[in-house]
Amino acid sequence: MAAEASRSRWSPLTLLAILLAAAVMLAPLIWTLLLSLKENEALIGNSGAALSPPYTLENYRSILQGNQVFRWLVNSIIVSGGTTIGVLALCSLAGFGFARLDFPFRRTLFIFVLLGLAIPEQAVILPQHQLFADLRLHNSYPGLILPGLAGPFGVFFMTQYMRAIPKELDEAAMLDGASRFTLFWKVLLPLTMPAQATLGVFTFLASWNAYWWPLISATRSDMYTLTVGLAAAQMNYAQTSGLGFLMAQAVFASIPIFIVYVLFQKQIVRAMAGTAVR
Amino acid sequence: MASLELSDIRKSYGATAVLDGVSLTMEAREFIAFLGPSGSGKSTLLRIIAGLETLDGGEVRLDGRRIDQVPPGDRGVAMVFQHYALYPHMSVRENMAFGLRNVGVPRDEIERRVADAARVLEIEVHLDKKPGQMSGGQRQRVAIGRAIVKHPKLFLLDEPLSNLDAALRMRTRIELAQIRSRVDAAFIMVTHDQAEAMTLADRIVVMNDRKIQQVGPPMEIYSRPANTFVARFVGSPAMTLAPVELVPDDGLYARVRLGDGAEIETRVPRSELPAGGTLQIGLRPESVAVAANGAATTQAKVELVERLGERTLVYARLSDNRAITAEDEGYSRVNVGDTVGLRIDGAAAHLFDAEERGYHAEARPE
Repeated sequence: MAAEASRSRWSPLTLLAILLAAAVMLAPLIWTLLLSLKENEALIGNSGAALSPPYTLENYRSILQGNQVFRWLVNSIIVSGGTTIGVLALCSLAGFGFARLDFPFRRTLFIFVLLGLAIPEQAVILPQHQLFADLRLHNSYPGLILPGLAGPFGVFFMTQYMRAIPKELDEAAMLDGASRFTLFWKVLLPLTMPAQATLGVFTFLASWNAYWWPLISATRSDMYTLTVGLAAAQMNYAQTSGLGFLMAQAVFASIPIFIVYVLFQKQIVRAMAGTAVR
Repeated sequence: MASLELSDIRKSYGATAVLDGVSLTMEAREFIAFLGPSGSGKSTLLRIIAGLETLDGGEVRLDGRRIDQVPPGDRGVAMVFQHYALYPHMSVRENMAFGLRNVGVPRDEIERRVADAARVLEIEVHLDKKPGQMSGGQRQRVAIGRAIVKHPKLFLLDEPLSNLDAALRMRTRIELAQIRSRVDAAFIMVTHDQAEAMTLADRIVVMNDRKIQQVGPPMEIYSRPANTFVARFVGSPAMTLAPVELVPDDGLYARVRLGDGAEIETRVPRSELPAGGTLQIGLRPESVAVAANGAATTQAKVELVERLGERTLVYARLSDNRAITAEDEGYSRVNVGDTVGLRIDGAAAHLFDAEERGYHAEARPE
């Protein structure tokens, strides 16, 4: 009802502008999808052939029949999943610490964490590379996951969220005989679920789309994540088995992210609208 | 046997002292109200008893056991918070069971206690709801229920009625009195509302300026205020205080003269008053009546008339410009700007010395 009412308020001009913007956004995606459904040979002379049938699933069959894309997909899932779980665990605990525990130099330490927001990844990439080389962590899952766990934004976000939860709840829990861990685990953590969902989705997406560090750290093709693997495949454009196959790989790679978007639409929209923190 | 003993409690935040040597003994099953203005230290004292604040000096004992170093959950006290502090993600049942689970009460015992409390508080139908789905009054009951299931020796209520609207506050006040009669425990309630304190408490502890000003049964606090603070703070509208002179004579009781020359024969024994020093008289509105000129003690000019229905409050000024509050019948003919006669009931007058200590008419025989 409310949605209908607000829709009817849109002027035709606004509607047209929105449709246009949506079309511009969608065009490359649809183009990718159409190309992926064509025989490679049909696209050699003219990629415009994608606009007309016949279409085929041949390229997708090739992907499923032994190609490294599958391996890269698994790598991406492990790295993104691991990073997300790690970030949520660390940031929740750090947020609890900064928001609720009293310890020496708490403010100083928090400012120190916030300073991390101002340091670009590029500034530390060389020492980071050196460190991981020394620890022999390149070409390993820990090597791909660990740098993503240091997330000052997540710590800041969870701290602010926990601070907004009334302290009376902590006091009630203390009088209810709860230990600090029970307070964290049973009272505060469940109340931060909206923030966890938002932070989790963003971390997962950022990790899934990360390119630079995996490119540096994973030098063996069996340790590539999807982004690195697909980029490597596309750089060898001349030798690839064709445009259709490349595009099918791209579509295949975006399926998990598409699923995440569909599942967590609400949290993503809420985070974008900035209402996640009360 | 004494239930709670506070001895010489001290607390400061940095350089600011909040409690300065507070001592109090409370009987088992007693209901005590901490009454005082904001910043008087009453909430801090409650939180110290609960274990939510540490103390800088002194001792807290409950049933003889020293508890000031014991964690809040192990003290045998339960607290009802001003804003209820219910866990929003838990159902009413879980809210009530949470504290029992933490201390390892067996599951069937938890169920029994929750069911009992829900029945007493008439919230059985709400047991599976979340606090967010309930009204303020219902949440208040859940908060009380969460305290009851723990079978504490002492209930701590922090402004428990302040979030309710006037009608609900009245009803909850009555219910609180009923709960109190059914539960075998002592109660401490913090409030700034004297009506709550007067109606619920066996004894009122009036606090101000980091200290206990007076402890006593409600009517004693009202009729024999220990000092000018208690006199002004308890009672609405506030007691009129005006400087007076002691009229020298040989009478048993003090005779005083107001600034406008009117003399009042009090029932305060002259022998109790300090020699010399200034005096103030304290007059409750009900002991100053609007009267025909023949019966009047003095005259005053009316500045404001409040018609409350069963009585009328008359705010007036004496000829020496002192404010005085008087009472008249419901259908009062007094209007703003009138000069009216006031009859002052000297037997109900209080006197306060230069240190603001109170002197009262001899206690009436019971």
